[in-house]
Amino acid sequence: MHKVEYPHLSEVLYQETLACGLNVFLLPKAGFQQVFAIFTTRYGSIDSVFKTKSEKQYTTVPEGIAHFLEHKMFEAEDGDVFSQFARFGASANAFTSFDQTSYLFSGTENVHENIRTLLDFVQQPYFTDENVEKEKGIIGQEIRMYEDNPETRVFYGLLQAMYGQHPVRLDIAGSVESIAEIDKEILYRCYETFYHPSNMVFLVVGGFDPDIVMNLIRTNQADKSFDPAPDIERFYAEEPVPVVSAQSTVHLNVKEPRCLIGWKDARIGLTGKALIQQEVLTGVLLDTLFGRSSDLYHELIDDKLIDQQFSWEYELTPGYGYSVVGGNSSDPEQLVARVRQAVDKVLAEGLNEQEFERSRKKAIGRFMSSLDFPGYVGRSLTSYILKDADLFDTLNILESLQLDDATGRLAEHFRVEQQSVSIVLPKA
Amino acid sequence: MEKFLTFQQDQWAVHILPTKQFKTRHMSVRLLWPLDHSRLTATAVLPYLLLEGTKKYPTAKSIMRYADDLFGAVIRTGIGKRGTMQVLEASGSLPEESAIHGAEGLFQKVQELLVDLLGDPFLEGDAFPRSHVDRELTLHKKRIESVYDDKMAYAMERCVEEMGRGETFGLPRLGYVDDLQDLSGEILRQVHQQLLKEAELHVYVVGNIANPEGFAQVMFKTLASRFGTAAAQRKSLQTVQPLDYRAGDVRYVQEQQEINQGKLNLGFRTQVSYSSPDYTTLLVANGILGGFPHSKLFVNVREKASLAYYASSRLDGLTGVIAVQTGIDPRNYERALQIILEQVQALKDGQVSKEEIEFTKNGLRNQYLQALDQPMSIADVHFSGVLTRTDRNIDDLLNQLQAVQSDDVVKIAQTLHQDTVYFLGNRGEQDDAQG
Repeated sequence: MHKVEYPHLSEVLYQETLACGLNVFLLPKAGFQQVFAIFTTRYGSIDSVFKTKSEKQYTTVPEGIAHFLEHKMFEAEDGDVFSQFARFGASANAFTSFDQTSYLFSGTENVHENIRTLLDFVQQPYFTDENVEKEKGIIGQEIRMYEDNPETRVFYGLLQAMYGQHPVRLDIAGSVESIAEIDKEILYRCYETFYHPSNMVFLVVGGFDPDIVMNLIRTNQADKSFDPAPDIERFYAEEPVPVVSAQSTVHLNVKEPRCLIGWKDARIGLTGKALIQQEVLTGVLLDTLFGRSSDLYHELIDDKLIDQQFSWEYELTPGYGYSVVGGNSSDPEQLVARVRQAVDKVLAEGLNEQEFERSRKKAIGRFMSSLDFPGYVGRSLTSYILKDADLFDTLNILESLQLDDATGRLAEHFRVEQQSVSIVLPKA
Repeated sequence: MEKFLTFQQDQWAVHILPTKQFKTRHMSVRLLWPLDHSRLTATAVLPYLLLEGTKKYPTAKSIMRYADDLFGAVIRTGIGKRGTMQVLEASGSLPEESAIHGAEGLFQKVQELLVDLLGDPFLEGDAFPRSHVDRELTLHKKRIESVYDDKMAYAMERCVEEMGRGETFGLPRLGYVDDLQDLSGEILRQVHQQLLKEAELHVYVVGNIANPEGFAQVMFKTLASRFGTAAAQRKSLQTVQPLDYRAGDVRYVQEQQEINQGKLNLGFRTQVSYSSPDYTTLLVANGILGGFPHSKLFVNVREKASLAYYASSRLDGLTGVIAVQTGIDPRNYERALQIILEQVQALKDGQVSKEEIEFTKNGLRNQYLQALDQPMSIADVHFSGVLTRTDRNIDDLLNQLQAVQSDDVVKIAQTLHQDTVYFLGNRGEQDDAQG
């Protein structure tokens, strides 16, 4: 078991790669009642075309299958999995994103039993024709719920305007039509490809003893037999740099329009420190331009173009990256014009050093505070591990960030041909 | 277990939980007074208006910049409704000073900023400046209307509104759009001054506080300098009581919009709330009904009937209201309603397994223990005690929970009185959904 100390953060992280290939991380936090464990496979909604090395042809599976599989993993031959966690007082959940599927629990007692349950249920699929059919009604309602949700709609609208080829453009849950094609055979096929321990990460954060817990995981995995690790080849269609369309608009039963402006990143393919560097730099840049302390934010509020929901985000993975700014707006067209104007102004005149510095310090403070939340830390650590990066590098990178770094980044990121707008308008 | 040190000066209380567990220090100042329609909307606008400027930092931008300069101190204000009380809150959090180089002495600045926000606003004469008021009234109108866009929240709010029609607790948290036009800078300032004078005030601090007594004394002094020391004028406050049963039939309310998913919400009254010795028993009963994925609603509405993605119930500890919510295909209204009511009936009929009791008690115990890791959740548990004048910490709650027996649960389940059924259906498909 490797031990990595981060004295400036008062954190210690333990790591071990087990014989089966499972990558295990433990972050004990003294004084915490809670134990948060998260078991993740490097498999999300974008992995719908794949083959293993021994296969000749790529297989294309229905949209939404990674998410469907996540739902079905909670089915066990001897009853459902939620009850197994409930017996030991833990609260279980799961989520599927574009590039990962995670199963998790948070509990305060019977931690060892709960860790075993988490390991066992994710490694023991049980799909039947009947339980697969039953799930279609449930997920169908999940999809319907999101169809009525303006935030979800405006976000997916933006991704579809930006991306023409890459599967990040597709809804994570798929559609009622695409999930209708799913059966237990395809589910097993995906499971066997992507749920091998060598494609997975197991991470525990909170109040526990690392030696005992590592030993428990080791023993649990050693007692199981696994096939040799499949060599997975995933196919992602080549995505051109320019966006597909400058604007996408839908109508929904809402009172206030929604408007997001996004920039598709051309600088992708990064991992490790380089990825974190680009992520925090772009984040500080966006906060300087659009955050609550920016001139623009207050001007837009004064002119009644936005409300306090206005915000920004930046997402970066090895395969895709984009920034987003926006929220509710009474006049989306006007908002887009004003945001573009502000971007052009800063491209011409450069960033104000004091404002950049303020956002950088703010990011340091927010990062430190985030370490108090085991669930948040567990999710972030995992997501960085999948990108071969270390969450705890964030602080050092933030501390050494310079205004000069931002200037070059500004020019390459905010290009007009990489900008899309997504709007949700009230139904007439 | 958690232990707040409370320091009291007339109607002001400072509750401090000294702990080294967190990398962040938290503070929350809460002003509370009874919900009252005549000042409801004005009070709801105030916390947002106060963020528009203090005497020292006269614009929203200068406040935000000041907070961001304090290593991104999170400064928030908001309005809440707890039972029949309106609660105005200003909160701040900041990384522990020891954790960041150059952060020494910053928490005191956050403390002063919060008190300034509440007690020393930027004024023009005896009024909030017109430009600030204009901005906030526009934003507040949107704030109220935006609930319409979140159908899950909208359905829940409409259900509670219908349930509490004509009663104080039915007043909406954010007030009414129609009241906004009557609010001027003068009127808002008058309500603000009245609030500072009359409201009960509680300050919560969670973090590495070396000298709690000294900290509280500084706090009282800061408060006195901004709020005035008019303790004598303060009214003694009512205790939050559970809602009484309503006479008459179950209210069925239906509404149609152009939507893809219908929302079915039910409200039940119990006349049992946080101050009752039976509170933890009711918590267990609600947990068995719909608090968890092993609960009757999740298992029967979602897993067995495949009708919904979410189906749950929630107990409001202050009003004693149990609210059920689910999202369904509008055509399945009758079937879903029937299954939900069957689950309530099963609970009342004593169809409760040993496992349901055990799992639910374990789940609730886990929730309380986890609250101990969240500074503001610890404060919220304490605050529920303050509102109901009940002295009970998390340890007490855990002990009471442990003692709950199956018979008690079935007995307390009899207190559930069905009050309101609210259904948000899809326009054009209402033929299939009749109350």
